[in-house]
Amino acid sequence: MPIPTPFHSRTSRLCTSMQWKEWAGYYSVCSYGTSHDPEYFAIRHAAGLIDVSPLFKYEVRGPDAASFLSRVTVKDVRKLKMGRVTYLCWCDDHGKVVDDGTVSRLGDEHFRVTAAEPSLSWFDRLRRGYDVEIEDSSARIGVLALQGPTSRDILAQLTDAELGEIKFFATRRCRLAGVDAWISRTGYTGDLGYEIWVDAAGAETVYDALIEEGRAYGIMPAGLDALDTSRIEASFIMNGVDYYSAHHCLIEDRKSSPYELGLGWTVQLDREPFVGHAALKRELETGSRRRFVGLDIDWEEVESLFDRYGLPPELPTSAWRDSRPIYDSSGDWIGQASSGVWSPTLKKNFALGQVPREHSQPGEKLLFEVTAEYRRHKVSATVVETPFFNPERKRS
Amino acid sequence: MSSQWDVAVIGAGHNGLTAATYLAKRGRSVVLLERRDRVGGVAASEEFSPGYRTAGVVHETATLRPWAVEELGLSQQGLVKRAEASPILIPTETGPGYVHWRDSDRAADEISQHSSVDAERYREFRSFVARLSPVLRKVFDEPLADLEALDMSDLWDLGRKAVALRLLGKGDMMELFRIVPMCVGDWLREWFEAEIVSTALAAPALAHGMVGPWSPGTNLNLLLHEALFYEEISGGPAALVSALEKAAVAAGVEIRTEAEVTAIDFEGDGVSGVVLSDGERIGARQVAASCDPKALFLELIPAHYLAAEFEREIALFRTRGIAAKIDLALSGYPVFSCRPDVQLSRVRTGTNLNHVERSFDAVKYRQMSDEPTLDLFVPTVDNPDLAPSGHHVVSILVQWVPYELEGGWNEGQKNELLERTLATLDRYASGIRDLTVGHRVLSPVDLESAYGVSGGHLLHGEHAADQLLTRPVGGCTGYTTPFQGLYLCGSGSHPGGGMTCAPGAFAARKILRDRN
Amino acid sequence: MGSSYDAVIVGAGHNGLICAAYLAKAGRKVLVLERRHVVGGAAVSEEVFPGFTFSVLSYVVSLFRPSIIRELDLPRHGLEIIPLETAFTPQRDGPGLCRWPDASESRREISRFSQKDAEIYPEFSATMTQVSRFAKNIIDSQAPDPSSLRPQELMALLRLGRSFRAGEHGSLDLQAKLFTMSAVDFLDRWFESDVLKAPMSVSGIIGTYLGVRSPGTAYVLLHHYMGEIDGAFRSWGLSKGGTGGISLACARAAEAHGATIRTEASVESILIKGGKAHGVVLENGDEIQARTVISCCDPRRTFLGLVGEESLEGDFVQRINRYKFRGSSGKVNLAVDRLPQFRERSGSAHLRGDVAIAPSIDYLERAYDEAKYGEFSRRPYINVVVPSLMDPSVAPPGKHVISCFVQYAPYHLKEGPEKWPEKREAFGDTVVDTLAEYCPGFKESILHRQVITPWDMEHEFGLSEGNIFQGELSLEQLLFQRPAAGWSRYRTPIQHLWMCGSGTHPGGGIMGASGQLAARSILESRQL
Repeated sequence: MPIPTPFHSRTSRLCTSMQWKEWAGYYSVCSYGTSHDPEYFAIRHAAGLIDVSPLFKYEVRGPDAASFLSRVTVKDVRKLKMGRVTYLCWCDDHGKVVDDGTVSRLGDEHFRVTAAEPSLSWFDRLRRGYDVEIEDSSARIGVLALQGPTSRDILAQLTDAELGEIKFFATRRCRLAGVDAWISRTGYTGDLGYEIWVDAAGAETVYDALIEEGRAYGIMPAGLDALDTSRIEASFIMNGVDYYSAHHCLIEDRKSSPYELGLGWTVQLDREPFVGHAALKRELETGSRRRFVGLDIDWEEVESLFDRYGLPPELPTSAWRDSRPIYDSSGDWIGQASSGVWSPTLKKNFALGQVPREHSQPGEKLLFEVTAEYRRHKVSATVVETPFFNPERKRS
Repeated sequence: MSSQWDVAVIGAGHNGLTAATYLAKRGRSVVLLERRDRVGGVAASEEFSPGYRTAGVVHETATLRPWAVEELGLSQQGLVKRAEASPILIPTETGPGYVHWRDSDRAADEISQHSSVDAERYREFRSFVARLSPVLRKVFDEPLADLEALDMSDLWDLGRKAVALRLLGKGDMMELFRIVPMCVGDWLREWFEAEIVSTALAAPALAHGMVGPWSPGTNLNLLLHEALFYEEISGGPAALVSALEKAAVAAGVEIRTEAEVTAIDFEGDGVSGVVLSDGERIGARQVAASCDPKALFLELIPAHYLAAEFEREIALFRTRGIAAKIDLALSGYPVFSCRPDVQLSRVRTGTNLNHVERSFDAVKYRQMSDEPTLDLFVPTVDNPDLAPSGHHVVSILVQWVPYELEGGWNEGQKNELLERTLATLDRYASGIRDLTVGHRVLSPVDLESAYGVSGGHLLHGEHAADQLLTRPVGGCTGYTTPFQGLYLCGSGSHPGGGMTCAPGAFAARKILRDRN
Repeated sequence: MGSSYDAVIVGAGHNGLICAAYLAKAGRKVLVLERRHVVGGAAVSEEVFPGFTFSVLSYVVSLFRPSIIRELDLPRHGLEIIPLETAFTPQRDGPGLCRWPDASESRREISRFSQKDAEIYPEFSATMTQVSRFAKNIIDSQAPDPSSLRPQELMALLRLGRSFRAGEHGSLDLQAKLFTMSAVDFLDRWFESDVLKAPMSVSGIIGTYLGVRSPGTAYVLLHHYMGEIDGAFRSWGLSKGGTGGISLACARAAEAHGATIRTEASVESILIKGGKAHGVVLENGDEIQARTVISCCDPRRTFLGLVGEESLEGDFVQRINRYKFRGSSGKVNLAVDRLPQFRERSGSAHLRGDVAIAPSIDYLERAYDEAKYGEFSRRPYINVVVPSLMDPSVAPPGKHVISCFVQYAPYHLKEGPEKWPEKREAFGDTVVDTLAEYCPGFKESILHRQVITPWDMEHEFGLSEGNIFQGELSLEQLLFQRPAAGWSRYRTPIQHLWMCGSGTHPGGGIMGASGQLAARSILESRQL
C-alpha cells in the first residue's frame, strides 16, 4: 500500500477525480480533475503546482563529497560551483546508465542528489575510501515543482530571495512563506519553473501559501498526467519508461549507454577514472549502436488511415508509455518508441525512442505502428530535432 | 630519483621469493620489496622470547612442489628433505593415545590399537587416494584456466584434464564426484570405525577454515592436501625460506627489507612502479604482488581506479582469520601422559570428530573455543639450536579463534586464549605450565598487523570451493589483474595458500610470457 | 491370484500416483498399492480432530511441475492451489519483518532494519530469477550421465554446461558460489540485516541435516525463485482442502485413465525370478503379477526391504547403505480457537503466507548445533502456516488450523531414535513454548495438538529415518548420484523394477517430477 507525501493532506482534498497512482511507494495524483488538460495548460500558460516529493533524494556530505560524486557519476562534480545544479547520469562498470538525476551543490562539502530509483546501496557500495556521509533525505524533504510562465511572479510574493539571482540551474536557500526552503530554477516541464525543497514539517504551510498567493496568477495543482505531457514535449527521458536501469536489466540489449540516450553531453571523459569510464571511452571511439530520437508521426496519414474505416482519428487522451515498434522505410523492425504524446500546444503527434545510429539523422523517414480499428498499420514518421517544445522562457 | 627495474615484487614471503627468483633466473632485473626487517613472511624464523626462536608461524612444508625445488635449485642452497613424513601424536587423556603415520605399513600397529579392521582399511584408503591424486594434481598443480574467458589453449588444457578424469575409470571417477562435495566427517566415517584415525586425517582439511568436520565441501580440502603432500622440509618453513633467500640472491634479485610499498604507481592504463612509505618511487615495467589480493587492491590502489563490481568482489573475498598463534618457550619437552617416552615434533589435539566440531562451533558466534583444537610443532626436536640446550620451542596454531571476536581483541582476551590453550594441553600433558618459561600470543588481529595478511588469514583467503576454483575472484584468476603490468603472485592466487611456492612460480611464468 | 497388470506401483505417494496416471494415460493397465488407509503418502490431508483437517506432513506446494497440472488436467480432477502472499518473520520484542507482494511496501518494511538491504532486495531477486533458469532445466529433465561417452549424453552434458554459462558475465562464478557456499555466506554478499537474512537462509536447510552456515546450502535458495505458480511472490501455495488435495487430484486423474488404486494393501516383498521383477506379494500373502514393478518407496525400503540384499550385488548394497537419510524435522499441527496474535501486528494480512520463527542467523545456527549432537533444538526454527485463513474449509467457522514445520528434530537422538516416542510431548511443548514467546496468549488458544516426530514419519509414513525428501538433498546425493551413481534414471539393478519416488532425481518436495520423469523413462524403455 502506498503512503502519503508531506503534501497529502492538501493534495487529497483537491483531487476530486480520485485518480491516483503509486510512484515510488507514495500516493501521487494522476490528474486532479477528470481531465488533465486544464492542468497541462496551466503549466504552459500560467503555473502548475506539482507534488514531486516521491523523487529519491540523497544528501552527500564530507570532505570527499565532490570527488566521491565524480567517481560515481559521469561528470566532474568537483567543478560544480556553490549554488549550482547540474543534470547528469551514472553508469555501471560497462558504461550502461543506472539512473539519471540532478546534483546540487548546497555547500562546500554538501551536495544533494536526486534519483528516480533507490540509490543508497549503490552509492554506499562505491564509498570505500571516501570521507563522506550519505543520508537518504527522501522522506524528510517535500518537493514541489512550480512550473509555468507565472511561477516567478508567484514566488516573488512569498520569498525574500532575489529571484533574478536564481538563474537557470541555480539554487538558493531562502525563507518561503516563513519556512526555511531551498529554491532551484529547475524542472521537468521544459518551461520557466522552480522546484521548492522544504522540510516535511513546513510542507503544508508552503503549499497553502502558494495556492493562496498563486490564485491571482492562475495557479492550478497539476498531476502526473499533465507533467508527462510536458516532459515529452520537452524531450526529457524517464528511467523505467524510455530506458531501464542497468541494474534491473536481465539482458544486455536492454541496457543503454549515455550516448544512446542523448546524454553524451553530460559525460566528461578527460579526467581521473570513474565508474564506466573505460567502457564509455571505448564507446566514444567505436561509436554507439543506437541513438535516442524524437519522431514526428505524420498526422495526415493517421487521419486518412482512420478515415478508411469511416472514423475520426482516435488518439489516446494522455501520454502513452507502452513501447511501440519502429520500422525502417522498407518495413523491417529497427527499434522502438518508448513514450509519446499528442502535443496540445504544437498540435503534432510526437514519440521518443531508440533507433540504430544510421537511422537517427533528422529528416530520416521511418515507419511507426498505429492501430486503427483493431488492425495494425504503419504510418510515416520523421526523425526531428528535440526538444519538440523549447520556449525562450525556459532558460530565462 | 626513480630507479628502473624490469620487475618489482611486493612482499618477500615464500611466494615473493619464488617469483623473484624465477624472473631473475630468466634475466630480468628484479627488486624484491619487503615491509618487515627480514624475508620469509609467515615462514620466517623469529625470536619470540630471549634465546628462543620459531621455525615460522606455519608448520606444514610437505606440500612444497618438487618441481619448484628442482627449478630453483634449492637443494644446492641447503634445502634438505626429511626421509619420511613426521609422525603426529594425537594424545588422549586416558588410553594409549595415537601416533598417526602417513605410511600404511608404519601406521598398522598404531591403528590396530584402536580398531582391528581399520589398519587394513587405511591401506585401502591410501591406495584409493593415491589413485585419485594425479587427477587432482592436474587441477591444483597446474595453472587454472579462467573459465569466464576461455581461449583455445585453455580449452585444450581443459580437455586434457577431462581425459585424466576419464582415465580414472568409471568407478573411481563417479566416486570422486560423490566424495568431493562431502564433509570429511561423513566420508572418513565410511572408511574407519576408530574416530581417532578419522580425526587425525581430517585435521588438514579444517586448517584455517570457517568449517568443521561436519561442514560439506571439506573433503575437497582433504583430497587437495593429500594430492599435494610430498616431502617435508627438514627444519620446517624457516629452512625453506633460508634456501629460497639464498637462491634469490644467487639469481641476482635485489632484496630490500624495511621497504614498505604504500601505493602502486600508474601511467596511462598500466603500472609504472611502486611508491614506498618514505615517498621513494621505484620504477618497474611489471609489478608482481605477493601480498594478499585485498591488501593489493583495497590498500595500494585508489578506489576510483577499480571497477565497481571488481572492487565489490575483492571486498567480498572471504579472509576470516580463525587461527591464533601461540609460541611457548619450554624448559623441557612436555610429558604426554599417554606416551610419556615419546618426543615427536608434531602433536595435534582432538580425539573425535564431535570434539573438533564443538571446538569449531564457537567461532560462528564470534567466540573463541572453550577447548581449542591445537596443532603443535616442536622444531627443537630436529633443530635444537632454536632454544637453549635441553629446552624446547612449541609453536601452536590455535583453532578456532575468530578475527572478529565479540568485544574485540585486547590483552585480557589474549591472556584468556593462552589460558584456554594451556588448560587444553594440561589435560594431556599436565605439568606443561611449570615447563613454560616464555610465551608469545598472536591473535588473528596481531597476525594481520604483523604479517600484513588481511583478516589475519594465513592462506590469504579461505580455501572454500568457490575461492579455490576462481581464486581470488573473476577478473584476476590467471595472475593478471585489470591493470596492465600488474600481477598477483601470492597465496591469494591459484592454487592457494600453503608452502607450495606454486603461485609464485606460475605467476612468474605468466609474467615472462607477457613480456616476451 | 491370477490378476495381472502391466505395472504395479508400490506406494500411493504423489509421485506414485502421478507415475500411475501417466502410464494409465498411455494405455497401460496399472495397479497402485498403498499400505495406509488413505492415498498421498506424505502429501495427505486427514481430519485428525473433528472439524479440523490437517495437512499432516507436507503442507505447502512450491515446485509442483506445471506441466503435470496441464498434462493430467488436474484442476478438472479437483486441484486448487491458493498462493501464499506474505513472508513474515516475527520478533520477540518488536513487529518483526513482513515481506509483501507490494514491492514498495516490502522496501519500507526492510528499511526499518537496513535501507541498503531494502534497495538490494529486488536486485537480488532479479539475479536469482535469472540464475534459476538453468536450475529449471535440471529439474525438468533426466539427470545427465557424465560417465557415458555416448554422443547424446555428451550433447546433453554440453547443453547443461551451456545453460550454466548462459547469461551475464560473471554468472558462472555466481553459479559456482551457489553450489558451494553456505546460504549465510551467500546472502552476506548482498545483505546486512539478520532479520532479513535469517528467514531467507532457511530455505537452504529445509529437510537437511545442515545449518544455514554449512557450505553447499546456498543452492536451495534458488528453489524460491523457480516457483512457477504465478511469478516472484507466488511461488509458494496451499492446496485447497490440505496437501492431500494434490494427491486426490492425481489419484482421480489416474483412475479416470483406468488405473486401479488399492489402499490398506501393504506390500511385503517384490517377486523376483532370474534377476527380473514380475510382481509383488502382499502382507496377506496375495501375489500380484505384473510386467513391471515400480517402487515409490525410498531406496532403502525398496532395496533392503522389498527386494532384499540377497538379490543384489554387494557393491550396490553398499551404496544404498551409504545413501544418507538423517531426518531432521518434525511437524506439529494445532487446532486453535483464534488466530495467533503476534506482537505489534494487528489484523491478519501478515498471516496470509508463511511465518518463519527465524529471528537471527545465530538462532538458526544454535538450533542446528544442538541437533548435531543428537538433541532436538530447544528453540527451533518453525515454519508456521495458517491454511484456514485462506481456505476456511479445513476448520470450523471462526476456528483455525496451524501447521508448524519444525527443525531441528534429528532422527538420531543421542539416546537413539527409539527414544523419540518418550520425547514426543516434550518436543511438542518446545514448539508451543517457542511460539508463545512471539504470540502472547497462544497456549490458551490451543484446542488440539498433533505431534509428529521423525520416528513417527518412519513408522507411520514409511519415510526411512524420517527424511521428508526420501534422502538428504546434499550435493553428493543429487543429479546422477540420486540415489546411487549409475542408477539415477529410475532403473534398478533388477530388471523390470523401477523407482519413481523422491529418492530419485530430481527428488524432494511436492514437485511430482520424479513420478513424471519415471513414467516417461518406463514408457520409452519399451519394457511396457
